[in-house]
Amino acid sequence: MMKSFRGGVHPLPGLHQGKPLTDSKPVKPYVSEMVCIPLNMHIAAAPSKPIVKKGDRVLMGQVIAEAVGPRGIPVHASVSGTVKEVGNVQQLGARTSPCITIENDFQDEWVELHGLGNVENCDASAIIPAIQAAGICGMGGAGFPTHAKLTLPEGAKVDTIILNGAECETYLNADHRLMLENPVRVVDGLRAAMRATGVENGYIAIEDNKRDAIAAVTKAATGRKGVHVVTLKAKYPQGAEKQIIKAVTGREVPSGGLPMNAGCIVMNVGTAAAVAQAVIDGRPLVERITTVTGRVREPSNLLLRVGTIFLDAIGACGGYTVEEPGKIIAGGTMTGICAPNETISVTKTTGGIVVLNKQEATSMEESPCIRCSRCVEVCPMHLNPYKLKNLCDMNDLETARKNNIMDCILCSSCSYICPSRRWIMSSIKNAREIIAAQQKKGV
Amino acid sequence: MALHISTGPHLRSRQDTPSLMRDVLIALCPAVAASLYFYGFKALWIELIALACALLSEYVWQRLMKKPMRLGDFSAAVTGLLIGLNMPATVPLWVPAIGSVFAIIIVKQLFGGIGHNFLNPALAARAVLLTSWPSYMTKATVPLRALTLGFYEKTLEGVDTVAAATPLLMPGTDVKDLLFGNIPGAIGETCKIAILLGLIYLLIRGVVRWQIPVCMLGTVALLSWILGKDPMTAVLSGGVLFGAVFMATDYVTTPMLKVGQAIFGVGCGLLVVLIRNFGNYPEGVTYAILIMNIVTPLLDRSLNRKVYGEVKQHG
Amino acid sequence: MAEKSNKPTMRGVFINGVLNENPTFRLVLGTCPTLAVTTSAINGIGMGLAATFVLVCSNFVVSCVRKMIPDKARIPAFIVIIATFVTIVQMVMQAFLPSLYDALGLFIPLIVVNCIILARAEAFASKNGPLLSAVDGLGMGLGFTCSITLIGIIRELIGNGSVFGISLLGASYQPMLLFVLAPGGFITYGLVLGIINAITAHRQAKNPEKEE
Repeated sequence: MMKSFRGGVHPLPGLHQGKPLTDSKPVKPYVSEMVCIPLNMHIAAAPSKPIVKKGDRVLMGQVIAEAVGPRGIPVHASVSGTVKEVGNVQQLGARTSPCITIENDFQDEWVELHGLGNVENCDASAIIPAIQAAGICGMGGAGFPTHAKLTLPEGAKVDTIILNGAECETYLNADHRLMLENPVRVVDGLRAAMRATGVENGYIAIEDNKRDAIAAVTKAATGRKGVHVVTLKAKYPQGAEKQIIKAVTGREVPSGGLPMNAGCIVMNVGTAAAVAQAVIDGRPLVERITTVTGRVREPSNLLLRVGTIFLDAIGACGGYTVEEPGKIIAGGTMTGICAPNETISVTKTTGGIVVLNKQEATSMEESPCIRCSRCVEVCPMHLNPYKLKNLCDMNDLETARKNNIMDCILCSSCSYICPSRRWIMSSIKNAREIIAAQQKKGV
Repeated sequence: MALHISTGPHLRSRQDTPSLMRDVLIALCPAVAASLYFYGFKALWIELIALACALLSEYVWQRLMKKPMRLGDFSAAVTGLLIGLNMPATVPLWVPAIGSVFAIIIVKQLFGGIGHNFLNPALAARAVLLTSWPSYMTKATVPLRALTLGFYEKTLEGVDTVAAATPLLMPGTDVKDLLFGNIPGAIGETCKIAILLGLIYLLIRGVVRWQIPVCMLGTVALLSWILGKDPMTAVLSGGVLFGAVFMATDYVTTPMLKVGQAIFGVGCGLLVVLIRNFGNYPEGVTYAILIMNIVTPLLDRSLNRKVYGEVKQHG
Repeated sequence: MAEKSNKPTMRGVFINGVLNENPTFRLVLGTCPTLAVTTSAINGIGMGLAATFVLVCSNFVVSCVRKMIPDKARIPAFIVIIATFVTIVQMVMQAFLPSLYDALGLFIPLIVVNCIILARAEAFASKNGPLLSAVDGLGMGLGFTCSITLIGIIRELIGNGSVFGISLLGASYQPMLLFVLAPGGFITYGLVLGIINAITAHRQAKNPEKEE
């Protein structure tokens, strides 16, 4: 039976979510001449501290920046070569990020790796340290350090781990291809996480528009202890943490709480595969699958080294089909972040690069709300987005808070569906930032 | 090279305000065609005048008040056409003209333009015309076509009542005549098949949801049946169907939540039956929907739904 | 504004009542008669003049006795004074203008509770001298009269095609009945109020120092 949640949208129906561009394209490795590796690819901890300097020769997989704090993760060289630069570079954020630039010598000379062996037999207590050492953070987009997610606080009752293979975001096929081409790794990663946390139930949740991936993963999961494959209805935002928990387990994460409060841990399938590699081979996270699509000549799924420059990745796909791109998005078109320029880097969280032309990029003018109630219909958190937007515009943040503005997951379904082209999600996001700043000041 | 920067979503749904309004106009086409069939060029004139006056008022107002020009969203066109279709065929042409001007300027623009009016402009205009010139608005008019074709034998000359409700006063009207519109009434309201075609189109295109029309028609049928009337005739006669499909589904003046929309529909149906059977007017669709329009903000404010994750925290 | 200039002059008080603090359009007082009796211009002017007479007299008398009335009992005292004059008006009107009396009906005795009259007694007459109070009553009364006559003219013209009973728009005019019915009162009042506000806002935007 197909599982789902209430609300949501079917984005870009005319384009089938933009997925057909790349869903049948096998993953191609691509290595560029130079990589620029940001040191703040993860959230919830300070940027890693560089331990190499300009001119050093580094090997592939060598730690070039070490973790800061218990939640921090190290950063590894994704190519072998010479360090060209250690300094700040403009990345996705508002401010520049510390980065290490390495010139590739194309030797792909690895440091010595020490794996734990089979995920079923290895020492369970060694799994989480191995994950941290491999520098793994959530590869679905947010970039929360995975070892921190799996380290449960005292008294937490978690009985379920959900692997998120929904990939509901438009245009992206990175997870789809991974599940299709390497399903065993995904299942291994889930088992490793289950053993590390002592959880009995593992689910791999996949949307029903990826039948081939469901078949592949089901086959790989046969005979593995506690692993179930769940078919989800293809709908956005099926892959959002709270929605996938609701769909798979029927539980709701309490308002203001974490998945843990519903007894769940949610992990992206890409992260699981990285966990499997870290545990089995001791291999750090230095490459990921990224879908490069939209207005490029050959939309592809590329296996890219962390730190690959966007322009190189786009070049590997034959370049733009338009003279000048209008927008380059890191991620899909629903929640992706706009690249400020073409020279930012692919990080551990970059699932896709979508190029839009000028016409697609030009946003239409907001017109007055006609109260069509579509935003209310689609909100996966069952909020009243139109009301929140009005309250935000009137700067009545207190009332907005009473109307559960903090529960919004910023999925932008409301903005997508709005016939008046209103920037509902943006207003909510701004208001929440102001509220968060006020709370910080108040405390 | 300058790249555009914005928050998501970067691509939007294709359905926008003009396309929604265009769909409503398309859904009205069968009703327009039926009016032409039954009433000839007089119907066309009424509709054109109403349409033109609505567009012109919108244009002049936005021009004079230096507001952004929003003629392109077709909402004024929808209002104008609805007013035209609500006229009886004998009406002098200046009546729909005044109706359109009143709807656009007083009911819509003075309250802030599209999205801000608290009454359905077309219905409010109809109510104004009904109170101002009752003699023109309530003349029973037999379809010209029906007379010439000769299958309508009852003559209604001199019968003076609310146009839309005339069949209510004539027991024994054939259901077939009701369906095809071979009855006296407003030019766009009589042919139920045309209106149903419009409803089906609107539902398929996802422009309207089923809640309001179904709840409204269902309530009318059920209550009429309870009162010992034929539910089929109750639904098919008068302006109920037209009101339920095109008037009560106006976005701006109806509730946002599904539950609210259902209550809205039931309320409209209830009021229609009450006014028809116990009120002074033979037909009450206009006032029923207008009253529920006024109730809409209350429904929006008082109804809440469970937010994801809310109950567990408190309970 | 009255508080601003320390010594209110006769002229200032009068103009204040007619224009700057016009009871109908500025203070939005006395809306009941404004909406109810303005179905024709003559009704408007009749109602306005009756109210003016009561205003002038009650303001004068209240001002004269203002120091004798204990603070706690002032409202009943004002009402008694006002009711006296209203009764006089009612009887005079009934005797000499029976048709107008019939048209205004219940609203004549209701002048007693007309907010304008009580408000001026409370806000002005109980604080100023008798002559000045009478002038204030005259200004306010005339302001009220002008306003409701204006609304009456508009409603009568549109709803009946005539002004003061004289047919202006010819026999072919089809009166818009709505305007002599209750909704027409609200619509007209709202529109006139809106237009006046718009003009004021426009003026203030032009020379912000002159006003205020």
